[in-house]
Amino acid sequence: MLGKSYLKQSLHLLWMLGFVYFFGLMLNITLEYIPFSREASFLMIKQTEVYTHKEYVYIFYTHVYTSIFVLIAGFFALYKNAFPKSWHKIFGYIYVFGILIFAAPSGGYMGIHANGGWVGITSFLLLSILWWLFTYFALTSILKKNIKQHRHWMWRSYALTLSAITLRAWKVILVYLFQPAPMDLYQIIAWLGWLPNLIFIELYIQNKKQ
Amino acid sequence: MKKIPYLLFSVMIWSLFACKKEEKNIDAAKKDGLSLSPKDSMVSPEIHKDLYGLYVGDFMPAEQDDDTYNEPAVKISLKIHRITRDSVYGHSIVKGKQRLFRGIYKDNSQTFILDEPGDDFTDGRFEFKLKDDSLKGNWTAFTPAKVRSPKKKLRLVKKDFMYSPNYMIQENTELVDWENPKIFKEKFIDPDTGKEESYDVDKMRVASEAVFKINASKQKLTEKDIKNLRKLDLQIIKNTIYARHGYAFKKQTYRNFFDTTDWYIPVAEDVSKELTSVEKENITLLDRFIKYAEDKYDTFGR
Repeated sequence: MLGKSYLKQSLHLLWMLGFVYFFGLMLNITLEYIPFSREASFLMIKQTEVYTHKEYVYIFYTHVYTSIFVLIAGFFALYKNAFPKSWHKIFGYIYVFGILIFAAPSGGYMGIHANGGWVGITSFLLLSILWWLFTYFALTSILKKNIKQHRHWMWRSYALTLSAITLRAWKVILVYLFQPAPMDLYQIIAWLGWLPNLIFIELYIQNKKQ
Repeated sequence: MKKIPYLLFSVMIWSLFACKKEEKNIDAAKKDGLSLSPKDSMVSPEIHKDLYGLYVGDFMPAEQDDDTYNEPAVKISLKIHRITRDSVYGHSIVKGKQRLFRGIYKDNSQTFILDEPGDDFTDGRFEFKLKDDSLKGNWTAFTPAKVRSPKKKLRLVKKDFMYSPNYMIQENTELVDWENPKIFKEKFIDPDTGKEESYDVDKMRVASEAVFKINASKQKLTEKDIKNLRKLDLQIIKNTIYARHGYAFKKQTYRNFFDTTDWYIPVAEDVSKELTSVEKENITLLDRFIKYAEDKYDTFGR
């Protein structure tokens, strides 16, 4: 029994350290978009959209600037008992409304213009719809005081939030191994970024239920 | 354990006040030009205008023993600007480097003796014999000790330089970039000692067939056209524009790709004034994608 709890604790510590590290990287990426520029970073290869769709760049920035708060608020919200009582609610509101109003709708819009043709578009569109729905269910279940359901929906939602990190991590791995052409790579990571996350968390939830 | 997230939160808030933004330096690319006008002897009459022009061919070590290192031939272009009774003016371009020369032409024997300025250790003397449209001869370094092969032979053919937007890199060109290997560590267990050893493996970049198909001099390219290309493809497509204008590549990588292409003649160190507006626009686009590929392709990001 002692051994098992050690394993659990070290896994937990690893997850937290990993999160801190990758959150740092994500923060770095976000800072590339400050100050506002029409040609910053990812937008360098999105000039067609920037010029043909006036709203694109604003929606893009909405996504970039809000998602980073969603990512960190969601992480802290996972640890209800670590904080003074009312804080979980604050983190939760930032997370939920950050996604429902800003991050998910803007993500869906960007999905319509995604790189990688229809393969990329379907993936990102589906991702944003599921992300919105899971988060919405998490909200309604807690309003009904159903804590267990709330927790499960939140986990699902946060698994998708983490696709921001896993997608980019897969990219580094695949480029290191295979050096695929950029858009072939993009089509793969579009799906690899979130589908395994979702499967993993679903298995975890089913495991917990038993 | 339980309080770790709380700790993280405090650290984050604290660092919000402590953090400073880093400034990024963007290196401005500089290009150097060289003017070529002969300054003296303008008064003496020009003779043999028929010999003016470009002579292109291979430049290779005169004697290659079997046991010496084989130095591959490089492309050389020689331009004769002006011939007077007592002087010949022109310049040579080898490996992206332009050198002026001055010398004499002997009418009776139809030979040229041409000297480079001599202030560079790679300078030397050309001696040619003219036969029909070709120049045959050799080159001797002024400072033999400093160069790998102090004596070289050349055979040059007179060619006209012509720009055409239709030129494409030759289909049978080997699309490997030998100059920029990426070094990977491979590990193995030494069967004798049982220890883990590692060795370096060079991986070369290989371009795709797209470089034979996408022409950046003929029509305006869109992001869609080039989105799925790797950095090397983008670089070749961009530099094919420069090659068409006769740019003398400084980088070995591009010389490797274009030296074997028939139409390519290095004639200038700076062709930026010759670029058409379509080409300029495409270069801007390609540069953006090249930079993106450099910054983002293999890093954590998108």
